[in-house]
Amino acid sequence: METTIGQPEVFGAISHPARRQMLDLLADGERPVNALAGHFEMSRPAVSQHLRILLDAGLVTEQRYGRERRYRLVPENLGPVRDWIAHYDRFWDDHLRRLHEHLTKRSER
Amino acid sequence: MTNSIKKEIVIPKPREEVWQAITDSNALAEWLYPNDFEPRVGHRFTVRVPGNPKAGFDGIVSCEVLECSPPSLLAYSWSGGPVVDTRVSYRLEPEGSGTRLFFEHSGFDVSQPRGNWAFKGAQLGWDEKLERLSAIANAADR
Repeated sequence: METTIGQPEVFGAISHPARRQMLDLLADGERPVNALAGHFEMSRPAVSQHLRILLDAGLVTEQRYGRERRYRLVPENLGPVRDWIAHYDRFWDDHLRRLHEHLTKRSER
Repeated sequence: MTNSIKKEIVIPKPREEVWQAITDSNALAEWLYPNDFEPRVGHRFTVRVPGNPKAGFDGIVSCEVLECSPPSLLAYSWSGGPVVDTRVSYRLEPEGSGTRLFFEHSGFDVSQPRGNWAFKGAQLGWDEKLERLSAIANAADR
C-alpha cells in the first residue's frame, strides 16, 4: 500500500470523535472558542487540548480578536485524508483486474 | 470527489465461479492479500495488505462479514489505519453466460456525527480558491 501520505499527525488528529465534530462545526465557518465549547460536555481545558492537537496538525488556525480566540478550518491540509480515499480507488482497480485475470486464467488450464 | 468508490466489471464466467473466487480464502489470497476469510455472516477476519509506516498503518485490515448470500451478494466491514468501519461489497448479476460484478467500497464518512467535513472541507477549499481567482480576475479587468 504505497502512497505519498506522510502526515500521521493528521490521522491522529482526526482519530478522535470530538475532534472530528469540531472540524465538522468549523466546516460551516470560523467560530470563537466559546461557540465550539458550547457543543461539548467536556471542560474548557479539555476543549482547548483538542483544539491544540488540531492546531498542531495544521487542520485549524487560531486568531485572537481582543480576548476572543477564533478557529478556522484549513481544508487544504485535509489532503492526506482525501489521498487515502483516492489511494483505495487505485487499490481496487488493481485488485479487481487481478480477480478478472485469476478467473480467466483458470479456464485456460 | 465522492465518499464511495464504485466499480463495475464484466467477467466471462458464471456467478458461481466468481462467487468462489471472492469467497475462497486461497483464491482471495491470489488476487487480493493473505487472509483468514470464511463465508459466513459474523465471521471476523483480517487481510494483510502492505503497510504504510509513514501514515501509521501496520497493514492489518480488520473485517467482519456483514452479508453473505451465495451467489449474489457479499459484504464485509473494512477497518485499517485511518480508515474505520468502511464497507466493501460485491453484488453479482448474471450477464449472458458471464457475470456483472458491482463492487463498492463505501462509508468513508461513517464516523462523522453529521455530514462529512473532509468532503465539505474540500468544497470549502475550492470555493475559496474560486473566490480568490475571481477577485484577481476582477482586479485585472480594472
